[in-house]
Parts: sequence; C-alpha cells; structure tokens
Amino acid sequence: MIPFIELALNGIVSGLVIGLAALSITLVFGVARFPNAATGDVMSLGAFAALAGASASGTLLIGGVFGIAVAAFVSLACYFLVFQKLSSRPPVASLLASIGVAFVIRAVMGVVFGHQQKVFDLPLARPWRVLDIRFHPTDLKISLAALATLVAVFLILHATPIGRRMRAVADDPSLARVSGISPRRIMVALWLLSGAVAGIAGILVGIKTVVTPEMGWDLLLPAFAAAIFGGIGHPVGAVVAGVILGIVQEVATPFVGFTYKIALSFAVLLAVLLIRPKGLFGTVAGAR
Amino acid sequence: MKALTVENLRGGYSEVDILNGVALQLGIAEILVVAGTNGAGKSTLAKAVAGLLPRVSGKVSLGETDITRLPAERRARAGLGYVPQVANVFPSLTIVENLAVVEGVADRAARTEAMLTMFPALAERRKSRAGSLSGGERQQLAFARALMTEPPVVVLDEPTAALSPALVGESFERIARLAKSGTSVLLIEQRARQALAIAHRGMILDGGKVAMEGPAQDLLADDRAARLYLGQ
Repeated sequence: MIPFIELALNGIVSGLVIGLAALSITLVFGVARFPNAATGDVMSLGAFAALAGASASGTLLIGGVFGIAVAAFVSLACYFLVFQKLSSRPPVASLLASIGVAFVIRAVMGVVFGHQQKVFDLPLARPWRVLDIRFHPTDLKISLAALATLVAVFLILHATPIGRRMRAVADDPSLARVSGISPRRIMVALWLLSGAVAGIAGILVGIKTVVTPEMGWDLLLPAFAAAIFGGIGHPVGAVVAGVILGIVQEVATPFVGFTYKIALSFAVLLAVLLIRPKGLFGTVAGAR
Repeated sequence: MKALTVENLRGGYSEVDILNGVALQLGIAEILVVAGTNGAGKSTLAKAVAGLLPRVSGKVSLGETDITRLPAERRARAGLGYVPQVANVFPSLTIVENLAVVEGVADRAARTEAMLTMFPALAERRKSRAGSLSGGERQQLAFARALMTEPPVVVLDEPTAALSPALVGESFERIARLAKSGTSVLLIEQRARQALAIAHRGMILDGGKVAMEGPAQDLLADDRAARLYLGQ
C-alpha cells in the first residue's frame, strides 16, 4: 500500500506541473482560440534560461526569475511574429504554425545549449519519512511553487482589471471590443502570462528531473490531455485534470511500466473526446 | 449638429454587399427606428455603425468626428454604445464584472453603482454570473453595460427580440426614458409599430437600401408602409 501512496504523492507533484502546462495551453485557447503546440518548448526554454541565469548569478531565485522572463518574452515574440498575423485565419492555421514554432525553438535550444541532459545545481536533501511514507523536500517546494503560481494566475484572472478583461474576451471577443476593450492589450497580457506560466512549469520539471531540449515537447501530450479533460478554456479544470492525470500516470507505472505511462494520456484524451467532449468543467460554449 | 451621421454605407460579411448605400442622420436625444423585413440588412447596419462589419465603405460620423476608420473598441470609447441582438452579456462574468470591464469610464465605481440603482433587479443579483440571468435581466445588463460610458449615442439591435410580451412594453419605456435624458438612440426593431410609437423618426430598409423614411407618426399612418413592412 505504501508504495502506491508514495506514487500517488509523486503523481500529485507531477500533476501540478502538468496542470501548469495545461493552464498555459487553456489560457491561450480560451482567448486566442487555438491549441498552442509551442507551449512545451517554451517550457524547455524557460528551464534552460533559468539554468543559465542560475549559473551566471549563483542563485536559483535569480535564475528562475530570468527563466520566467525569457519564456514570457519569447511567448510574446511568437505572438507578434506569427500568431497575430494568423489571427483572422481558421484556428488550424495557428495550430500548424505553433508546431513549426515549437520545432524552431527546440532546434535553437539544441544549437545553443546542446542535447546533453543538464541538471539544476541543488543541495542534496534526505527524503522525509512519515508513517513509513517517503516524501522528498524538493517535491514539497515544487508543489508549493506550482500552487503559488496557480493562485497567482487565478488572482490575476479574477481580481485584476486586465484579468477580468481577458475573461471577457474569452467569453465574447466582439462584445469585448464594443465594450471598449483593446484586443491588442489583452493579447500582450495573455501571451506574457501564458509564457510565464509555461516557463515556471519548465523550471519545475527541470528541478524535478533533468533539462533537455525535448523535455517540454514530451510533456505536451499530457498537458493537452489535461487541458481537454478539464474542459478546454477552463483554468480550474486544467489544473484539477492535470493532478488527476499525474496521479493516474504514476500509480499505473507498476502495471504498465515507465515507458508506457504516457499512453494513458492518449487513453484519457480519447475517452474524454468520445464520452464527454466538453471535459470535466467545460460548457458547450467553452468547447467551441 | 447631428449625433450620428451615416453616409453611403456599403458592405457585408463576404464579397456580397448587404448594405447598398445606406444614409441616415440621428438627431440629439432622438429615437430613430430602423425597421424592415428579415434579411433587409438591419442588424448588418447596426454592426457596421458599431465597427464590427468586416468589409465596409462609406462614412460614419459621431457628432462631428469621423469614426469610419476607428476600430470597434475606439468607437465605443469615443461614445458609441452598442447592444447586440444576441450574445449581449459576458456569461461567465458576474453582473458587476460585466459592468467593470467596460473601458472609457471616468469613475467606474460610481458609474457601476448608478447602473445598479437604475436597474434594481441587477443590484439584487450583483454577484450572480450573467449566464444564469433570465432574458429580461440579460437585456437590462446589456443596457447597463452599454450605458457605462454615458455614451451620447446608443445603437440597440432588436432589444425586445428575446423578451416575453410582458417585458416588451417595459423595454420600450426604458428606451423612451433614455432619449428623454439626452441620449440619441438608433433602434433596430422587428416590432416596428410599437417601436415607432415611441420614436421621433423611422426608416425602413429593404434589400440593404432605405426604402422609406420620415417622421414616425407619418410612417405609422402610411398605407404602403403598413402593407409592405409594418403589418396591419
């Protein structure tokens, strides 16, 4: 029983990080109306930039802030250079373009940072033991950082004027415009926010595992699955679904093996699309 | 000076023109009803004035300011209120949030309270999501949202379309009060007779062109208008 509890705890940590990536995807989908396949590579870029920042400054905190800033500004640059120009085209054009953007970011990361695995230089810590259940202090910090990010995003969306306007644009872009809301300002805020969230997710994945140019792309499918499972365009749903998916993946590992746990994301994705296309929390309007 | 002037407005959603040279003048504190059969171009005219029609030519002036080239959000901030026929509230936002998101409001808190005082039914449910409101309450919220900036001109696209018959009269009374308070109203309406009864002037669109126009009472008394467009 204890190994399963440990796996479930590990799943919660992984799920929170998947939830962050799903949150980034669902934010963009809710407002810009397309699934951004470059999210994973913005995650990886955030992790690499954080590594470089931490190495240059000697502190993870400064490195982390640098990584988040780089991810946010690259995300915004992608909007201005690519997605803004495609905004009047069907969403599939932006989706396909985002796959191209993902390849470009990954290729640049490969050239600049190389393809070897890199790790954050963190002090070694012994796992805690409570009732024979082991839990690593780093996992607790990752969970707290992920939760703090989620709370911050929800506060931005619900307690700030720009967040409320972002939700208004997500509800009805035309009505938002005739209410005087400038789409350009909303898009700038959206892409900065979604990039920052992806950057944080990438840094946390990098701290938990290793940093490679492919790490974000590998997490894209679970993140998409969580975004759809939670109800596309629904931030709370994305996070809850991410945690559920994380727990299911980890608890299933003894049965299906590490290599095949990713297949569970496919299974969840297919099941949700077949049985409940609007997801856990989504509405018919939200799934448009 | 006119509150709103439209000159030779042409345009549509794709290659085909739905508006074929519409012109109108809306006086200050005046209600101008735009009537016509389905497909005449009434809602398209409202969208073109609000800045939401993808392809348009001609000229739209708000007061003496040419707003033809302004996007919808800048027209709204310049003082043009618009209430669409459907999808006229943000369903996932609360009533207060629907009002708070409007840009171009000088004193947001005071104006929000003023709107909630004007529409007491909304004040009682200020924390409710707009998606949970009844058709009548939605219509009130849509009005309140459009009036947040105290616009000199309001374009109302079929404001009574989703209302029960009991609420239609109330809606027309509200529009009449709005004009008496100094706001100019361009009222697109299918219930043409009731709308003309509270209006100063009327206009009938047919095939994207102005077929008839004149004082509201004259249109109501006109046999041809009654026979072809208004119903008996």
